[in-house]
Amino acid sequence: MFALLQTSLPHVAQPVVIGVGIAYFTVIVAISVWAARRTRTASDFFVAGHGIGLIALTVASVSTSVSGFAFIGGPGLIYTVGLGAMYIVLPASVTNVMGAWVLAKRMRLLGEARGLMTVPDAIGARYRSPAAQGLAGIAMLVGIIGYMATNALAMGVVINAIFGVGIGWGIWLGMGVTLAYSVAGGILAGIYNDVFQGTLMAVASVLVFLFVLKVGGGLGNISNTILASDPTFLGPWGKMTPLAALSFFFVFGMGSLGQPQGVHKYYMLRDPMQLKWYPLLKTLGLILVLLLYFGVGVGVKAFVTNGMMAPLSAPDQATPSLLLSITPLFLAALVFSGVAAATMSAANSFINIGAAVVMHDLPIAFGKRLKNELFWGRAVTVLIAVAAAIIAQKSGTMVAFLGIFGWGLFASTLVPALAVGLNWEGATKAGAIASIATGLIVTLALETASFRKVFTFPSGVTASAVALVLSFLMFFLFSWLTRRDAKNQIDPDVALIMEL
Amino acid sequence: MTSSPIQDTTRRAARYVLVLSILAIATGYASAFKTGGAPGWAPWMLAIGMPAALGSIMVLGAARGSKGIGALKLPFLFVFVVLASGFCLALGLPAEAKGATLLFGLPLRAAIVIYGIGLLPIVVLPVAYAITFDTQTLSESDIARVRELAATRRAANPGSER
Repeated sequence: MFALLQTSLPHVAQPVVIGVGIAYFTVIVAISVWAARRTRTASDFFVAGHGIGLIALTVASVSTSVSGFAFIGGPGLIYTVGLGAMYIVLPASVTNVMGAWVLAKRMRLLGEARGLMTVPDAIGARYRSPAAQGLAGIAMLVGIIGYMATNALAMGVVINAIFGVGIGWGIWLGMGVTLAYSVAGGILAGIYNDVFQGTLMAVASVLVFLFVLKVGGGLGNISNTILASDPTFLGPWGKMTPLAALSFFFVFGMGSLGQPQGVHKYYMLRDPMQLKWYPLLKTLGLILVLLLYFGVGVGVKAFVTNGMMAPLSAPDQATPSLLLSITPLFLAALVFSGVAAATMSAANSFINIGAAVVMHDLPIAFGKRLKNELFWGRAVTVLIAVAAAIIAQKSGTMVAFLGIFGWGLFASTLVPALAVGLNWEGATKAGAIASIATGLIVTLALETASFRKVFTFPSGVTASAVALVLSFLMFFLFSWLTRRDAKNQIDPDVALIMEL
Repeated sequence: MTSSPIQDTTRRAARYVLVLSILAIATGYASAFKTGGAPGWAPWMLAIGMPAALGSIMVLGAARGSKGIGALKLPFLFVFVVLASGFCLALGLPAEAKGATLLFGLPLRAAIVIYGIGLLPIVVLPVAYAITFDTQTLSESDIARVRELAATRRAANPGSER
């Protein structure tokens, strides 16, 4: 989610922080060795053999949903623009259950009926179209490159802050560990590492939130401190325009239905009946992890206002500065490990999804199937990770650019074709292809034009939002134009799953 | 695919609302390109359009067979009202006067956004999903039907899963 870390963090390489960091990496290695022994097939590697339990899947899904942005970039954004930044996370109150109703059951049953492993797989099966599957795969790959590079840079920054090894070595160290468990244990290692990492993130988040409330004398006192000097900060839109804040809600709300790192997990649940409690548990988990986002953003604003903390040199310093100046060192160490956990968790998930696109979806689009998907899955995993690490070492501005459009690209290319398509028998292959192509082209064109300052959006309008809206409209328009006989173009098993 | 009139009505209505709400959102964005920036009504288009879009896609996903959305009408309506009224109150209420009373530690409009939009739906939607899961979402017999049809398909197309 979003660009993660665009500035360096302060060095915190002290015995307690290093000790907690080493303990954290030791647990990661142990889980990975365990998982590697249980990964024998491509299905194990990419969807954990459709065999993950409810609690593990929920915690893992929370872990991959938030990334390091929730711990570093997000609080910094609140510190800068006030409550308007909350519109990125507020949709969580509806997105998990929306995903459950719209996608979870149908994707899980498609996995059951067809042994599907990837999100483009579902698009291919729904429209009986390798072309739509391949195009969705290409769109995902473009988004994944951006996400991976950003997460690799974020890893480098955090590991450098903890161990003081330099950002370059931090990138290779973090990516090396992630790669080791991704290659050896695939998504199985990823899931159980995510369970550990998600738990760590939730504990750290709750502790920091409670600490901020205690130091600030409660939320009321914190609010009064801010209101005395900067009432706009606590206005309903913060310092943003209403249109800009509402745009966040639209892109992060509706767009959640197209995020492969979340949607992909529906395939993995062992028993489809366990979906019953999935949205409730995931929403509660997300609330816990996001407490830090709100608490630190608002708390630091109050502490800087009343002189308890020095003004920040950059917004991304909000969390590290608070941890180093106010909280106990052990808690700081826990949060730094939590940030490393978040970036590695997101990276692992994207590596796995990207590898599946390259060795599974793209060959299908060209009418071929690889014979040894497990071997090729591992090989492509290495390639993607190395490519991401190399890109991450390039210009920070370029990496920031790549990271920004990931969420929007997934949203505009996948939401109409997948989320509406699996629930409307009138949707057609032409509609899906038009929608995916529109999302891909419009997002890339507008983001590039904006990045190169060829074009400036009016306040409150973003490339992601425009691309998502246009993608929806193209989907409906082309489906309507080609609607003749649409219902008969669906395979009987897919039709049954859509009707249930 | 066999479709009943009830299913068709529910899903068709949800699709129309989804298209209309996306058009409303598109209109809000398009108006921002006018010289002088977004007019005052632009955010209202999103304030109504977004809850309608999210609600309608949920209805589309939750509707099944001849049952439509059954008892889920009320939770969906509740969430639409909470989101739409929350956004509209945030847009329409005047800024709080200095020293105004806080609501659970936040100024009124911020409290409406954080607690109303951010927390209230959690109390209703996931619980409604769980309570109606067996009757509205998935049952063991549904899974058995899917497995049976998949087995038939595999038997007819040996060697091909998809």
